[in-house]
Amino acid sequence: MARRELFSGLNFSGRSAAMLALLRDGSFARECFYIGPYAEAALSGLSATIADEIEIYRAKPASLGHTAFAPIDFAPLARREPQTLSGGEQVLLALHCFSLSSYAALGIDTALEQLDRANRDAALDYLDPRKDFAGNVALIDNRLPPPQVGWHTIDLPAGATDLDCDPRRVVADLARQIAPAIAVSDLGFRYARGRQIFQDVSLSLEGGNAYRLAGPNGAGKTTLLKLLVGVIAPSGGKLTLGGARYWPWRHGNRAIALATQNPDHQWCGATLADDLARRRSAFARHARVGSLAKGRLAKLAQLLGAPSLDAHLYELPLAARKRLSWLWPLAGALPWVMLDEPSIGQDVNTRSRLAAAIVRLTALGYGVLFVTHDDDFADRIPHRVLAIGDATIRMN
Amino acid sequence: MTLNGAIAVAFIMIALAIAGPGPRGFAVLLVLAAGFAIVEVRGATWTALRRAAVVVVPLAAFMGFIWVGIVGRAPAEIAADVPGTRAAALIHVLSICLRLFFVVTVIQLAVLRFAHLTPLQFIRALALPVTAKRLLVLTLSLIETLRHAIDRAHIALIAAGTLTRRFSSRNVIHSWRLVQTVWLSAVTIALGRMRDKWPIENTLNLLERAVEGGNEKIFAGDDKIWLPVSLGAAVVILVADVFPGPS
Repeated sequence: MARRELFSGLNFSGRSAAMLALLRDGSFARECFYIGPYAEAALSGLSATIADEIEIYRAKPASLGHTAFAPIDFAPLARREPQTLSGGEQVLLALHCFSLSSYAALGIDTALEQLDRANRDAALDYLDPRKDFAGNVALIDNRLPPPQVGWHTIDLPAGATDLDCDPRRVVADLARQIAPAIAVSDLGFRYARGRQIFQDVSLSLEGGNAYRLAGPNGAGKTTLLKLLVGVIAPSGGKLTLGGARYWPWRHGNRAIALATQNPDHQWCGATLADDLARRRSAFARHARVGSLAKGRLAKLAQLLGAPSLDAHLYELPLAARKRLSWLWPLAGALPWVMLDEPSIGQDVNTRSRLAAAIVRLTALGYGVLFVTHDDDFADRIPHRVLAIGDATIRMN
Repeated sequence: MTLNGAIAVAFIMIALAIAGPGPRGFAVLLVLAAGFAIVEVRGATWTALRRAAVVVVPLAAFMGFIWVGIVGRAPAEIAADVPGTRAAALIHVLSICLRLFFVVTVIQLAVLRFAHLTPLQFIRALALPVTAKRLLVLTLSLIETLRHAIDRAHIALIAAGTLTRRFSSRNVIHSWRLVQTVWLSAVTIALGRMRDKWPIENTLNLLERAVEGGNEKIFAGDDKIWLPVSLGAAVVILVADVFPGPS
């Protein structure tokens, strides 16, 4: 009889540790496939191409007869490096590898939260105990409230280390801000040897509004954020900020506080104190940054659950790091706030508080651009939708 | 031709180039390499030449600046304590750089001959013990991890306003932060895998199965032509250098 274990509970209730213990327990399966919250724990890290990643896991011979899970065709992507896939695509690749492997069990720690609706439905359908996948599955998913038909719920009480996190209080004392409009015209971009991501995209983003970037996995949502911040340069088109030409890819980011999907992609120091000191130094000429003294940032960090600014970031749990990744954007240092999948890995309480904080930011005049596949989270925020697809962006 | 055959032929050519043949020997070597490129590599030869130029030209410029521009004498002239000339220094630089150019080109030719293989297929096709192949995969994985860490660090530092995408004095001043961030990222990526993913899946054991086989015959096909030709060329070069004939 195939087992389906759904771990339920708030952040820091010990769900991840309990799931890992189950996966290591020989009674669940001799060996399990594991998809962690981010790419480092979703893919093997042993392959330089997608074809090799699949080859490493492919069962020889294909004995178990899992149904192959392939919501996207990886054949045209075979020569690409796995790390160049979007977060959601990496999760799909991991699931595809599992479906070709000889593993009899699978553990997924919040990774399905990165999938768009169609892919998420396909993945959950694949794991449905009433369907033909006969292996055992352990799952943590903040957007799948128990009970679920066919799933056994393991409910974990709130942990003793529950770190209080209230983003609403972080933005409570912020002063009004007039975020300058960002205008993009005829923007084009393609990755080297990759497909066209954007072609002749034009759009205008006004301060005091929240915009949701929506689109399927791999459409280019994170790419747009990288373009606006200056991590990558467009192949054509122009950007203006408050009506003046803006070249973040040449002169550096001047206006946007970004929280990345994987929080570990944004730290520029070993401790939060290091990270914030470097940000303050880089943006020292901005008037509002000057008012963000270390003591104030320490207080704000406490409101997000950080015991101290001097704590080593990588010694904190992933969910705590994700919360702290919001600190710089929510501190009000810069007029535009961009959040890439902010609700991933966060329990329902924290998600609703973060949504309220975003609403407050827009009311104060900040501009907010966020990426999420979590409709429930997005519905709590009055927003306009920027739909990405077919190399274009349409504002709905 | 097999991958092992290509590596063996490349190894012979590189060994001969390093041995420092005279002009006639080097000419034979060039003919051998050109034949290999035309028959086995074809159009990708230009890619090999371009890549070799990218590696060697900056080095040649630097060496030229030092030896021809500053020193003004060849090392042999310095050893013999004679005045020397810049022309001799230039010949010295050219001889070293040409040989290096040749070596890099030959390596690229051998690799490009099998450009259709993925890295894993490439390693699988090598005639090596499985342990050595696993070591190669792990080394490649380490390189990928570092590249990934560099990407991550760039995103972090550019978004934080510390670096810019283009070359700037700010980037030079803060380069040590980039190094520190890359290092932190690489360590956390590696730890993320080694703490949870690999032990639960026993992922490294999968590697053995993934890299074994693929080399039922160490040499086959055109190897039987290229290896004797290369060895023959080696004999010709050695004879030409040992018995240089009347001057």
